[in-house]
Amino acid sequence: MTRHKLLSLGHGLFLAFIALIIIFPFYWMIASSLKTENQIFQLPPVWLFKPHFASYAAAIVNDHILRALLNSLIVTVGAVALGVAVGAPAAYGLARYTFRGSSQIQFWYVTNWMLIPVVVLIPFYLLAANLRLIDNPITLILIYQTFVVPLVVWLLVDQFRAVPIALEEAALLDGMSKFGIFLRITLPLTVPGITVAAILAGIFAWNDLLYAFILSPGTDARTAPTVMMSYLGGYIIPWGRVMASAVMITGPVVIGGIAIHKYIARGLTLGAVK
Amino acid sequence: MAQIAIDGVTKRYGATEVLKRLDLTVAEGEFMVLLGPSGCGKTTLLRMIAGLETPSTGRILIGGTDVTLTPPARRDVGMVFQSYALYPHMTVRENIALGLKLRGVTQAEIASRIERVAALVQIAPYLERKPKALSGGQRQRVALARVIAREPSVSLMDEPLSNIDAQLRTVMRAELLRIHRKTGMTTIYVTHDQEEAMGLGDRITVMNFGHVEQIGTPDEIYARPANAFVARFIGAPRMNLIRLAHRPGANAIEAAGIRAPVPATLGTLPPDLFLGFRGEEARPGAAHDGEATIEGVVDVVEHLGAQIEVHLRLDDGEEAVFRRPRGETIWHEGERAALAIPAAHLHLFNAETGAALRA
Repeated sequence: MTRHKLLSLGHGLFLAFIALIIIFPFYWMIASSLKTENQIFQLPPVWLFKPHFASYAAAIVNDHILRALLNSLIVTVGAVALGVAVGAPAAYGLARYTFRGSSQIQFWYVTNWMLIPVVVLIPFYLLAANLRLIDNPITLILIYQTFVVPLVVWLLVDQFRAVPIALEEAALLDGMSKFGIFLRITLPLTVPGITVAAILAGIFAWNDLLYAFILSPGTDARTAPTVMMSYLGGYIIPWGRVMASAVMITGPVVIGGIAIHKYIARGLTLGAVK
Repeated sequence: MAQIAIDGVTKRYGATEVLKRLDLTVAEGEFMVLLGPSGCGKTTLLRMIAGLETPSTGRILIGGTDVTLTPPARRDVGMVFQSYALYPHMTVRENIALGLKLRGVTQAEIASRIERVAALVQIAPYLERKPKALSGGQRQRVALARVIAREPSVSLMDEPLSNIDAQLRTVMRAELLRIHRKTGMTTIYVTHDQEEAMGLGDRITVMNFGHVEQIGTPDEIYARPANAFVARFIGAPRMNLIRLAHRPGANAIEAAGIRAPVPATLGTLPPDLFLGFRGEEARPGAAHDGEATIEGVVDVVEHLGAQIEVHLRLDDGEEAVFRRPRGETIWHEGERAALAIPAAHLHLFNAETGAALRA
């Protein structure tokens, strides 16, 4: 065998090893969700078994996981919609206009992204409690803006800058208003970038546990990650239901990730134009 | 169609002055070319006429109306951008229709105008395509169609041919002229290519460092450059400019290898001069009465195909370059040779100020 072939075989084995490390937990999660409670703990592990959906049924009936998923969906979609509606015009302003403090504002958005959640959680909890907004999805939608808006602004400033200024000038000469240009020229050209920003922000909102656990703990109001948390309270942990719930919660995240992976791989510098 | 007047316009970016009190009038229906090296302010001037930039001082008038502070949309100007700036997410038809719709032109009128313009610039088969499915030349035509369809009183073009290949460029040049003759739009065209400027312009404004060097027809600018900058910038190959000292009071220029008569009407000449002549005005051999003579050693003979290019090294080290027909065998590298230039084709410039000295 030539040196070159040996090298590429080595590469292949290494990549397969990494892939195994990443894929195995997913396999274990799905497999365990389809096993009986006894099969889960058998050693050596049972590799062949008859799929068994009782864990899913229990998670749905006993733990109201579907209700929690719906709550998560409402909060995530609401937070992303509000975040894009607010963040996209903000990013456009930062991308196209230089004004006193514009670079500081842009930096401020980026640093907000590094904010430690607990810092805002306590005052926000007191505020929400006084306004009787605990267990209300609006509360979560609002507090998620602390990370959705910075993320959207951060990603979209570069997207808007990538749209050639000449296009906007041509539209100006064609008689379009500045807001019309933003809406009808720049936005349509940055749809791929906005989609990436929305899905990324959505994944963060969907996965949030800390805010949801504190601000929306009620049985009917809790989101999916809070349900996962509730499994850890008792003397025994119902691993089948944990795994079944985990499959249902991570499913959308994995699908969203696959949908945008090629853009993420390109370092988020997708040429909206060209 | 409208006349354009630039009245004492200055543009500053911070401390940098890119346009210095510039005055310019473009007649109704005229094809005016703004020509100059990059950074001379020609594009800035064009963008100010479009309304994309605001002058620091001075006024811009279109059709007699002061539009200095009028937003672009209300100036009735169309612009072809260097990058074409076609809307990538719209078809060719939508690209052309947008400006018409926004100006309240009726659907039926839009359709008929698009049809007319598409025939004029020959893009009818591509109307339903998106810009990315078009070649550079086709995009160029669409950008042009977008302006023509709006029937603006002024059309502005920012180096519209610089992004297409050389062969297509000559085709598009003729096309631009044909369209201009047909529509009669007042046109201001920016370029740094002197050949393009000569070919297109009714008149040319030569600019440098934010001011106007000369305004004139291509012929005037070629035959009577106002200063050494214009003389060097216009014409390919460029005009020979030979630096020499002039003895005060003498009625002829005499320097190493150079003898040239000086018309008495020129008055007192400055001591530091450029003697200019174009290679194509010179002929080999001894000078007759009233002609200038230039002598030197043939340095290099280059073969260019239909012509040869001869580099003549004068005795004081200056160089003269001229082209001769292929097959002329009198030029031998290393031998002495002489050129005669009729006095009418001699140019004198003050080497200090660059200004042309004319009788």
